[in-house]
Parts: sequence; C-alpha cells; structure tokens
Amino acid sequence: MTSIAKKSVIGGRFPKPDSPDKAVGRTRFINDLELPRMLYGKILHTDRPHALIKSVNTERAKTLAGVHAVLTGDDFPEVKFGINRDNTPLKKGKVRCIRDEIAAVAAETEEICNAALDLITVEYEDLPGVFDPIEAMLADAPLVHEDRPGNLSLAYKFDHGDIASAERQSDVIMDHVFNVHYVTHCCMGTSSVIADFDTDGKLTIYTQTQYPYNYKMDLAPALGIHPGDVRVIQPPVGGAFGSKLDVYPFEPICVLLAKATRRPVKLTFSREEEFINAPTRQPARIHLRMGAKADGTITFRDVDCILNNGAYTSWGPTTPYVMMRTFSSLYRVPVVRFRSQAVYTNNPYAGSFRGYGNVQATYAAAIQADMMAEALGMNVLDFSLKNAQKSGEVSPQGSRLEDCVFTECLAIAAEKSDFVAKQNRYQAERNRPGRIKRGIGLASSIHNAGGAKIHKSDGCGSILKLDDYARATLITGASEIGQGIDAVICQVLSEELGIPMSDITIVNNDSAIAPWDVGVHASRTTFIAGNSARRAAIKAREQILRAASKQANVPQEALDLREGWVVQDDNGETVIKLDKLLRQMHFKEDPELVMTTDYYEPPSEPETENHVGDMSAAYSHAVHVAEVEVDTETGEVKVVKVTSAQDVGRIINEMGIEAQIEGGIAMGIGYALSENLQIVDGLVRNPSFRDYKVMTAPEVPEMELHFVESHSKTGPLGAKGIAELPTIVIAPAIANAVHNAIGIRFLDPPLTPEKVARAIWERDISVAAE
Amino acid sequence: MMASQSKATKNAIDDYLAPATLSDALGALEDGEATILAGGTDLMVQTQSGRVGYKQRLVNIRRIDELRGISEHGGRICIGALVTITELLNNTLVAEKVPVLAAMADKFASNQIRNVATVGGNICNASPAGDSIPPFLVLDADVELACLRDGKAATRSVPITEFFTGPGRTVRASNELVTGISFAVPQAGFIARFIKSGPRPALEISAVSMALGGVVENDVFRSVSLSFGSVAPTAMRARKAETFLTGKKLDDETIRAAVETALEEVSPIDDVRASIWYRRHLVGVYLRRLVADVVQG
Amino acid sequence: MSCKVEIKFTLNGRPEKAIVPVDLNLLAMLRDMFDLKGAKYACGEGECGACTVIVDKLSVNSCLTFAVDCDGREVRTVEGLRATDKLHPMQRAFVDHGAIQCGFCMPGMIMQATHLSDTSPGLTRDGLKRGLEGNVCRCTGYTKVLDAVSDAMNTEGVDQ
Repeated sequence: MTSIAKKSVIGGRFPKPDSPDKAVGRTRFINDLELPRMLYGKILHTDRPHALIKSVNTERAKTLAGVHAVLTGDDFPEVKFGINRDNTPLKKGKVRCIRDEIAAVAAETEEICNAALDLITVEYEDLPGVFDPIEAMLADAPLVHEDRPGNLSLAYKFDHGDIASAERQSDVIMDHVFNVHYVTHCCMGTSSVIADFDTDGKLTIYTQTQYPYNYKMDLAPALGIHPGDVRVIQPPVGGAFGSKLDVYPFEPICVLLAKATRRPVKLTFSREEEFINAPTRQPARIHLRMGAKADGTITFRDVDCILNNGAYTSWGPTTPYVMMRTFSSLYRVPVVRFRSQAVYTNNPYAGSFRGYGNVQATYAAAIQADMMAEALGMNVLDFSLKNAQKSGEVSPQGSRLEDCVFTECLAIAAEKSDFVAKQNRYQAERNRPGRIKRGIGLASSIHNAGGAKIHKSDGCGSILKLDDYARATLITGASEIGQGIDAVICQVLSEELGIPMSDITIVNNDSAIAPWDVGVHASRTTFIAGNSARRAAIKAREQILRAASKQANVPQEALDLREGWVVQDDNGETVIKLDKLLRQMHFKEDPELVMTTDYYEPPSEPETENHVGDMSAAYSHAVHVAEVEVDTETGEVKVVKVTSAQDVGRIINEMGIEAQIEGGIAMGIGYALSENLQIVDGLVRNPSFRDYKVMTAPEVPEMELHFVESHSKTGPLGAKGIAELPTIVIAPAIANAVHNAIGIRFLDPPLTPEKVARAIWERDISVAAE
Repeated sequence: MMASQSKATKNAIDDYLAPATLSDALGALEDGEATILAGGTDLMVQTQSGRVGYKQRLVNIRRIDELRGISEHGGRICIGALVTITELLNNTLVAEKVPVLAAMADKFASNQIRNVATVGGNICNASPAGDSIPPFLVLDADVELACLRDGKAATRSVPITEFFTGPGRTVRASNELVTGISFAVPQAGFIARFIKSGPRPALEISAVSMALGGVVENDVFRSVSLSFGSVAPTAMRARKAETFLTGKKLDDETIRAAVETALEEVSPIDDVRASIWYRRHLVGVYLRRLVADVVQG
Repeated sequence: MSCKVEIKFTLNGRPEKAIVPVDLNLLAMLRDMFDLKGAKYACGEGECGACTVIVDKLSVNSCLTFAVDCDGREVRTVEGLRATDKLHPMQRAFVDHGAIQCGFCMPGMIMQATHLSDTSPGLTRDGLKRGLEGNVCRCTGYTKVLDAVSDAMNTEGVDQ
C-alpha cells in the first residue's frame, strides 16, 4: 500500500486550459466560424446625427447579383427594445445618432453586401442636433425622442444624513467639476453574430454575449419571438470587457436577415464600424464636493452627475448605480447626497465597460482625496488611513465590509513604493531646472467582489458528472471571455475531487446545455461560479466517499480524495483507485452515477428603492501607486512604475490574477493618458487604431503586484473577484502623480501630451504675468 | 435641407504585371494608366478605404533588383526605391555616413511595416507626415525618376524640395517611376538629427516631425538645413530659419529668435491628432532640442 | 471585380497554387481560400498586428500584403509553426507564462515574436518591447507576453 500526501492546487500558477489551442491557431473564434450555406450581412448606417428619413431606395441593391435580402425599418412593425425601450433594430422616420441603422443586406459575400449598400440611396432632411447634455436640458433644445420631454432619460438619487449640518462641521470643503471622457473597449475581435433558424422557427444564435440567459430575454422582444425559442451558442470571443452585456441592433438585424432568407447569416463589423457602432464607456460631468475636519475626518460627499445618454439607452446611463456606491463607500463617508441625470443627445451611446461607473467615480473621488489631503497639509496616505474602513463597518448604502483589508493595502502599497519619501522629494524637486519631472501618486478604490444583485438572482448553476474513468465534466452557466474562469474551475474541482486538472472538461457555451447564470460582469465569476462549481464538487465528493466508506468499512470522515485515489485522510494510505470505485458504483445492482447539480445564490441583497442594500457578497479594495515622468516641454507622461496592493480574498490561480491585474492596469493607463474617442457634433472623428491610441508594449511600465489575502468567509476557498479594480484605480493614481511632478491637476482625462503641455504653458504664462 | 447618402464604388483592376526589369516596368507605365505597387502598406489601406482608386493596371515593381540596394559612387549615396525601412535601419553605410536616416527608420511605424515599406513608397505617398521626408529634405536629396520616351529610358532628377505639390501629390508624371533617391555624402563634421512627436516610440502618425542638419565649428552653425513634417500641406524646408541660424553662435537668444522665424514659415492645421497651438508649440520645443543635440554633437 | 492571376508559393512548407484577384490581401487569401483562420482581421490597416505572418523570413501584416505578390515566396502562418505534436518553443512559452487570455491577438503576436527570435536573437527586454510595438493586445498588458518571449529567446536552443 502506498501513501499519497495531501497537496493543494490552490494558489498555484496555471495557464488557461484553452491556451495551447489558442497558441497554435486552432481555436475558432466566432469571427472564424462559417456555417453551411451561410450568407453575410451588412448594415447601412447613417452618416448624420439627427435627420428625418425622407426616403430609402433599395431597388438597385435588390437587383444586384448575389443579394438575397435588403431590409429597412418599413419591412417590420416597430418594436422597441433596450433598457429604456427606446431603440429599434432598423430605424424608421428619423435618425438620432450616427450609429443608426437604415437598411441591411444579406448576400453571398461581404463584398457583395458592401456593393449593395453603395447602391442604396437615402434622402434626409437634416434636423438641428444637440450633443451636449446641459444644452439638451434647455427648454428650446431639439428633442431626440418626441416622447421624452426635456430629453430626460434616467435619474438616480441617494441621500444619507444631513448635508447642511455636515457642511457646518467641516473645516475644509473641496468643490470640483470633473469631466470624464468617451473611451471604447477595442475588443480585438470585432462584433460578430451568426443567426440560424431551424424549420420549426426556433433560433440558434452564435454570439459574443457575456450574459447568455438574460440575452434571450432582451433579444426576443426586438424580434417578436419567444425567449424560450432562442438557443445561445457562445464560441470563443476576442475580448469583451463589458461590451457584450446588452443586445445591440446589429444582433436582431442579423436575425431578421436570417429569417428573411431562411439561411444562416453572419454579420461582422469592420474595425471602423466597431469604433463607431460599438458601445463606449459612459462619459460624465461629475460635480463633486467633499468636506473634512481639520484632523482629516471626512464629513460628507455631495455629488451631481450629468451623463450624456446619447440617442438610446444601454447600460451606460445606469452606471450611477455603481458611482453612488463609490461616493458613499470609498472611505468612511458619514453623510452623502447623490444626484444623477442622464440626458438624451444625438451622440452615440454608452454601454457597460470594466469598472462600470466606478472608473469614472474613482477618478473624481481619488483625485479629490489627494487634493483634500493637500489642502489639509496631510499626506494622502495618512488621510486615507484615517478614513479607511475596518472589517464590520457598514456603508451608508448598506455595503457590509467583512474581511476588509483596506488599511493593509494602503500600508503595503505605500511601503513597497517608498511613496511618502518619494512624494516629498519629487515635490521639492518640482521647481528645479530640467525638463523631465518625476512624480508619484496614490489612489484608493473599492468595488464589489462577490457579484452584484442587480437582477432577481445573482446566481450560477453547475452540473457535474464523473465518468467511468474518473474524468469530470463541469457544465457551468459561467461564460469564458478570456478572463480565465476555466482554469479557476478546474483548480477548484481538482482540489475537491483529487483528480488532475487535465482530467476536467468545462462545458459552458450552449444555453441549451448549461444551467442559468446572470453573466460575466461585476467581478463575479470566480466568486459565484467558483462557489457553485465547488458546491457541486463537494456533493460529488460526499457521494464518492460515502460509497468508499461503505465498501472499505472506514468512516467517511476518515477518507480523502488525492491524485485519483481514495485515501485515508490521516496517513494518505490508498484505499481504492477512484476510477475503479466509480465503475463499481456504476455497474452494481443498484447503480449510481456520480452526477451532481448546484445552483449558488450569493448571500447578497437587492437594493431598496432608496438604494440601500448589501448588494454584493463581498467587497474589496485596491491601492495603486503610480510613478511617472513628465516631459514638461512636450507634455508627454510616461508611467515608469505601478505598485499595486489589492485584496484578492485568497489566491486561487496566481498567474490568472496577475494577468487580470496587469491587463487591467494597461487598460486603465490608456484611460488616463491616451484613449479618447473624439465625438464632435455627434460624429466619431478617430474611428481607427491609428488615432485611437491603446497601450502598446513599449508604453507599459514595470508593475509590482502585491496580493493581500483577506480570506472571504463567503468566497470560494476564500477568494474574491478581482478583475475590475485595477482598471478603476490606476488612472487617478497617475493623475495624482502628474500633480506631484508638475503641480497641476487634471480633472478631465485623458492627460494627452497636448493637454499637459497646454496646462504647463498656461500656468507659466500666468506666473510670468504676475 | 435635403441631402442624400450614397457612396462611391471602388475601381477594378483589369491587368496585372510584375516586371523583373526596370525597362519592362517603364513599358508597363508608359500609357500612364497604372497604379504602382511597391511595399503596398499605404496602397492597401488607401484603396480598401476607397480614398484612392486603382488605375486600370497594377504594376508590381517589387521584383526589380535594379531598384534595390544602397550604394556610394562619386561622392553621392543612392538609395534604391525598393530599399525597405528595415534595410535602412540595419545598413552599415547608412549607419556610418547618414545615421539620421537610421534614427528616422527607428521611429517609423512598426517592425512589420518597416519590413516591407519602401523608401520610394514613403516619398511617393507624399504624406505631409511621411517620416522619411524631413531627413531627405535636410540632406538636399534628389528624387530619381525614369520613364520611357520614344521607346528609350529617360531619367531626371528632381530636388526633393521641388518634388511635392500638395498632400498626396507630387511632380511625378503618371508614366514615371521613382527609381531611387540620392544625395551628396555629407561633408565632414555634418551632423543631422531627426525627431518626431510621441508619446509612442514609433507607430505614430507624427503631429510634428523635424530634421536639422549642419556643421558646428567654434560654436557657430553653418551649412544649416532644417525641415518640418506635419506642419504644412507638404513636408518643407524652413529656409528663413536656416538663413537665420547660419553663421550664428548658438546661444539661447539665437535659438529663441530662430524658433520665431520658423513659426512664421509653418502653416499647421487643427486635426484629430493635434491643434495648431500644439503643433506650433512642438516646433519650438523640437527646434530647441535639435539645436542642443547638434551642438553637443 | 478586379482581374485574377494564378500564383504559386510555399505555404507552411508545402507548395500551393491559387487564383487570386490582384487586389486581394494575403490575410483574406489565407482565411478564405486556405481555411487558415489563425491570422486574424482586427484593424485592416497595419495598426494592430493580429494578422502577422512571415513571408520570406520577414514578419508582415498580411492585411497589407497583396496576395498576388506572394507568387514565388514562402509564407508561414501560426498553423505552420510547429513541425511535430509538440508546441513550437515560442508557443510553449506563451502557454507556460500565462500570456494567453482571450487569445485573439496571439497568433499574430506569436508570429512576430518568432520573427524577432529568428532575426534578432540578442534583443534586450526594451528591444523586445519595440519589436512587439506593432502588436496590440487588449487583455494582457504585455507583461506576460514579454516574459514568454524573453524566456523562449534565451532557451530556444536548449529546448530543441
């Protein structure tokens, strides 16, 4: 008899199981897929932001060889869909932004589609447009939707405590307006969808969606079909980052083309179409006031946000839901007043994007914290430590901070980066000659790390089966979009079942097979899907050990599963090989197959109407310190180093956490410095990677990552969700570092070379004038 | 106001030739109805976007060995039209005699594009932001052209200062081929520098680019040549600033005045990459920087 | 429709023929005519590198390369990188370092890294960053990619 020691895969370093196929070019992304007899679809988008459609002539397009269908809004009864029920697949009567879809073509090739689009003529009567949300609120502003008076879309408010009395208790009050800009996801795989009807009229849709189950519910109304008749297949996607959490018109349009032609139709955006027609991050004007006592204690935050809704409503205008959490829970904030208003304009519209409102809110809050500390003559580290919550505290909106390690994150980030000493030194060096100035900045952040109960359920289902060879298949509702839930689930199952990760198959791309999940968002998948998979594994483990106990006549508690064996827990001595036991269980008189299911609902609460509720099962903090060099002549900001300390709960896959944080930082640096979708008078001026600058390899700094393990009581094996915080917190850290370097605040990202150079120049002019 | 939306269609190519010799290529171009393919990195983007239409014949000149190579004869360096940017970056003659070209090549697009984009193509594309042009302007280079006249090859040299007539436009006739670019081997002591706006080290369409060359002796600047990209409809020499700098001692006051002179010569525009203000600002910053670099050797 | 021309070339070590429209790009030819979907369309203008393949030992953006110009040349794609069941050392390094997340840009990234490894073996980490500047990745932040390429370039000789 041999003995097997207990080993754990938790905390190890594991590549994603799908990475070898991706490395050899074997993986077929949706952009690579073709179905038999498939046609291609293309959409004619308008070229003007606000106009009446006088006529659409598709006659010439219809007669082009190879064209199978040309559709316009006139071909269908108007069905509204979207969060505000304000969008339609193909527009009738008028266009409201340049994303608007006028006509669609299905043809044998994309080239024929494009040629057909060129043959469609549209006559318009241009209408005055409105592009600024403040102007759009004026009484005489053009109406984007005739049935939305005042152009008002969505409004949110939250009140906690008495602002007036908090103001009286404040020694210093900060009052600033931040304007955060348009950026877009830039998924490397452009938007793509394939629609295919069977002869019973049931739809199979191949999509990039990150929320396959509610996707049916959102898609069906746009088509007049039953959500139950939609089967969602999720082939591998080239990135998502929140962009695929809603239904956008190209998807129902593709379905309508498939219906019209009775053939599968695939519709894929070009990169230019992607820049113009895919969602953006929600821009916002944030008027933020914060008070503090002389000792640094925060007394209140008072926030007014105005959001440019664009012409239709996707998730963007709902981001205040998360913004208000930031303003009420980033630090201990006793009194909060929050107002937000989203206003329709003739701009393109925003969706959800990694960080979901928290990127915008933390940009404002973390810079203002730095300004407040400066005004109080405190170091921002001390200011942050003074106001950092501890475990057990409850925020004004009801976030219960269990397992809170904010203080530890602050201490580690500051110590490892030598923050205080460097900040003092760089400030002292600010006025010395030399064109390159160094600076260091710190920013703190908080985010939900255990899902967010914004739907009726925040759960995830799992089905686990073990076969006669002790190979496991886990069918999960959780989607894989590149983030690495596949590796995490394999680890969790391996840990509980004592089988190698390579013996586990994950199935998660077909809504007809996998059980429900709310979707990949809110940094929830490791937490929720991990918990669900683990619970299914524990049930299987108990079933196996029960059988082994009976057979070996050893108490169940004295047994363990290790390396494909049932062993004695205390000394590791082997009892029976797992595959043999499984076969014996299977092929006996009263056979049992090891198949378990689980539906995990996290212990979180939906918010009340007043926005109070413990909406996530866990919260976590990240503190970033950024060190920059500013070229005071060209205005170029170079991020030299980032030191990150983040509460990860417990490390499951160290490699996966690093990858998410590194990628999140790079995305956040782009937000801070270079990415800027320039929308002027409703038109996108830079719809290409040439002029929309995402980070490239030479621009990415050294990153020093520290993981703080708070061991969440509710997370799977103690883990928390991690993927959004790095993108949320890095930008204000950079802006604070630039201030440290040159003494100038930037309340309006991105800090492009031109903007920084201009600010330095204007400062120098005004100094010279004095 | 009534307005309609419709798009132009792309032109189709009826004929394709890939000549192996210069004379065959010139024959293929003789009627002026050909689009020339060299590296293709600009051509593909421009034709796919519909900004440029094909002519009826596509002539691929990449097989013509006569258009390759970097050589030195009779005091001149000649760079074949098909020399790639990567070749420029790695060439020993360039490194030794005209390192400014290697410095430019290092800032040019990406490795993949440098591997195929050609010197001739970058010049013929005539972008005001074309990276190679300011250094060639500073080197007083001549663009070498060839065509068939009466069945025989005829050549001419056009000073690069006279080659460009507007954005995307040059004096090249439709039956002519750029065969290379040549310039006198810089005199002893000649120093030239190139700079282009970032913040990326490369893979940028510059908001401003600049090259400065000259000889510094006893702190005095002579044989000054100065050129700018992206601040006028074509890349340009800044003659007034050159004249101003020539023979001067390079102190702060001279440089300040030179910047002012240069700013009188440029006519930048506001676009998606930069404002007029920023382009003018960078002209000053880069000129000061390049002068300091040249002075330091 | 533009005219078509027959070309002969070597594709991943095998002789091939194709009849291509003269304005067709290499990326479209590989994907649509040879079902090699490794190289990806992501920008179509040479700004992202997702379509990178190697032609005659040089990395190129296949979206900017005229297919017709590949006549007589050697084209190598990510599918042709490994000669055996085992991953090519560069592919192995990308996997082992966790450099692959969504993976869409990776065939191009790996081909560019292979080109750097083949042509510039002594690159420093900064040199590597420059060498990869034409390849956009939206997931990784490049750190693990750089780790993988550094590792592969130092150890390639040993592994083979």
